[in-house]
Amino acid sequence: MSNEVKGNGVSRRTVLKGAALGGLGVVGGGTLLSSCGSKKADGPVKFTVRGTGEAGIKIAQAVNDAYTKKTGIQVTQQAVESNPFQDGISQYLQGTPDDAFGWMAGWRTNHYADQQLFHDVSANIKNLGDQLPASFVGGATNPADGKQYIIPTTWYPWGLHYRKSTMQSLGLDPENIATWDDFMKLLDGTKKKGLVGYALGDKGGWEAMGTFDVVNARLNGYQYHIDLLNGKAKWTDEKTINTFKQIGMLIPYMNKNVLDISWEGMRDLLLQKKCGAMLMGSWFANDFKAQSQADYDDLWLVPFPEINPEFGRDSIDAPLDGIAVAANGANPEGGAALAEFWASEEGMNAAIAAGSTDLYCNTKMDTSSYDAFNKQKLAVVAEAKHIMFFLDRDTRNDFATTVGIGIQNFLKNPADLNKVVDSLQASWEALPAL
Amino acid sequence: MATTAVSKKTHRRRAFSRGDRTTLGLFVGVPTFLHIALVWIPAICTILLSFTYWNGIQLSNIRWAGLANYHTIFTASPLFWDALRNNLYWLLWFTFLATPLGILLAYQIDRQIKGHKFYESIYYLPVVLSLAVIGIIWQFMLGPSGFVQGLLGYGIENAIPIFGNYKINTYVILSIASWRHIGYVMLLYLAGLKSVDPSLREASAIDGATEWQTFKRVIFPSMGPVNVIVIVITVIESLRAFDLIYIIYGTSTGWPILGMLVFQNIYGQSASMLGAAYAVILLLLSITPIVLYLRTVFRDENR
Repeated sequence: MSNEVKGNGVSRRTVLKGAALGGLGVVGGGTLLSSCGSKKADGPVKFTVRGTGEAGIKIAQAVNDAYTKKTGIQVTQQAVESNPFQDGISQYLQGTPDDAFGWMAGWRTNHYADQQLFHDVSANIKNLGDQLPASFVGGATNPADGKQYIIPTTWYPWGLHYRKSTMQSLGLDPENIATWDDFMKLLDGTKKKGLVGYALGDKGGWEAMGTFDVVNARLNGYQYHIDLLNGKAKWTDEKTINTFKQIGMLIPYMNKNVLDISWEGMRDLLLQKKCGAMLMGSWFANDFKAQSQADYDDLWLVPFPEINPEFGRDSIDAPLDGIAVAANGANPEGGAALAEFWASEEGMNAAIAAGSTDLYCNTKMDTSSYDAFNKQKLAVVAEAKHIMFFLDRDTRNDFATTVGIGIQNFLKNPADLNKVVDSLQASWEALPAL
Repeated sequence: MATTAVSKKTHRRRAFSRGDRTTLGLFVGVPTFLHIALVWIPAICTILLSFTYWNGIQLSNIRWAGLANYHTIFTASPLFWDALRNNLYWLLWFTFLATPLGILLAYQIDRQIKGHKFYESIYYLPVVLSLAVIGIIWQFMLGPSGFVQGLLGYGIENAIPIFGNYKINTYVILSIASWRHIGYVMLLYLAGLKSVDPSLREASAIDGATEWQTFKRVIFPSMGPVNVIVIVITVIESLRAFDLIYIIYGTSTGWPILGMLVFQNIYGQSASMLGAAYAVILLLLSITPIVLYLRTVFRDENR
């Protein structure tokens, strides 16, 4: 065989050799190219928008453009889908993250800050001085070392949202619900007219946590709820079981496809006037405003009704969002400066001009210019004595998903209640020490 | 005479020149190196890490856990048993429904029944799509704001729950997965059938065998290598299933399977070595039937 081929000019062997070397070259060259990026101290900043909604992207673009106009620094932004971004945050931060990105305060920031993946922004918060009230700075502080790793920008309450026009046409008055029985009557009235009484979409696994949080806090008190999320109370306790049973009372008024739709489905149900009330954070109001001013004006919210007179309506979920800076980004200092701008008065005004309806932490926010809906949000939160950040930010991250699945299993089949709480308690006990 | 014979022998032994050896070395060496670096080393690391507590961020945080992760999985994770059951359903469905249908299809097409070219194309079409794309297509068709719901005149508020309906979603998902698997098996079997000696078929026809007898006794046994591939693929695809479930359910484990449990525990917002333990369990589940089957096959062949 070898004798035959020896005589040719381009032999089989040379072709094979060339192919092998070429393959190696591609592999080698690729690795060389990837190490070409260098770290720059001052220079362009990269920003990630958390969420692919059009309204959010437009607002972020406006704020980043305002920053570029003020400082001349180029900002490149990208938008990512919220759930996959959150799921992959650990890998993202250890790789080549953008400099600044939208994120959430609480366990999600503090845990990764402890792993040195977040850049310390305490200095930037000091720069903002009295623009940020102490309560919000406290919410953004890592209890482990007293520093801040996220600059708070917006917050929103979780309340019962509904359309004023729908409720008027049904002859119902959600603002005057005093007790749980009144609330049940309201849901009855909605259901009789063929609408979904209490819309819920739990496909994402977290949407129903809002209902669990508020029902547990109403029924058993804020302290019990926090104790439960930190393992001091048990899922198998009678109080927790009562919470689930209370949620079970709402199931007949929910849509039949709870596990098929996610929070976007809930928003669409309200947008399309197919439901009565919906418990959700107010962030989705931006989408209503993007749809039309009339839709936004029709939107209203009230606090979740009282269940136990001992606790009244003293607790509410009001998570804190902000801008965080990655420690491994190419330009953390630039990212921190951009984050500071987002939280400052100028950044906030740029966002509002672009259509943001969120509540801003900044004290310089001209509350007299708040529209009626925002004033109602403030009123709803002002009524509460205790503020919760939401179940998956108040408890350990590696337990939060399990709780979400437990609630899904309960909604799937309420008769499985004992199985659900038993397995939740077993999962908690099986967690390794932090 | 003897010298020429010897020199001819030495000539043959020196058939691999240095140039040849370098080429062979590179051609075998580079893929082997990549295979070891990207498959074997991570696999061994995963097996070792499944015996530790770690959140995946800093190497200094690795703590020995012994069998604690496995203990948690077997005693405190009802999701694990649900996932195991779903994977088993997948395996049974593929083994007794999808694969035999693919074989039947291949056989009929090979016999060149009327319209066989048409059947070939439409059954092969889903095979060229990845499972992720298939998931997107069916999500669009059957989802709450999907095509089928619109056709039936339902809005979101009264859309028939399909993927969230725990009575029927198993059948729906397995049917969607079969849609692709049938075409895949059909193609493999068609290739094998083309290589069956036609004289064998004529001989059995002359001997008076029926179609089914011909298939069972003549054709099926002569397709040994293809059978091995088809069985291995059936087992692997059912245990490895992930893309379809991820597209339809995300990471919320609405229909749990082992692949999703691995992913959720490693990649989610709370990485823990439970994911590594799930991966090791998946590895053992996949390897055992295949090794056993291949041992039987090769032992028969050597006989």
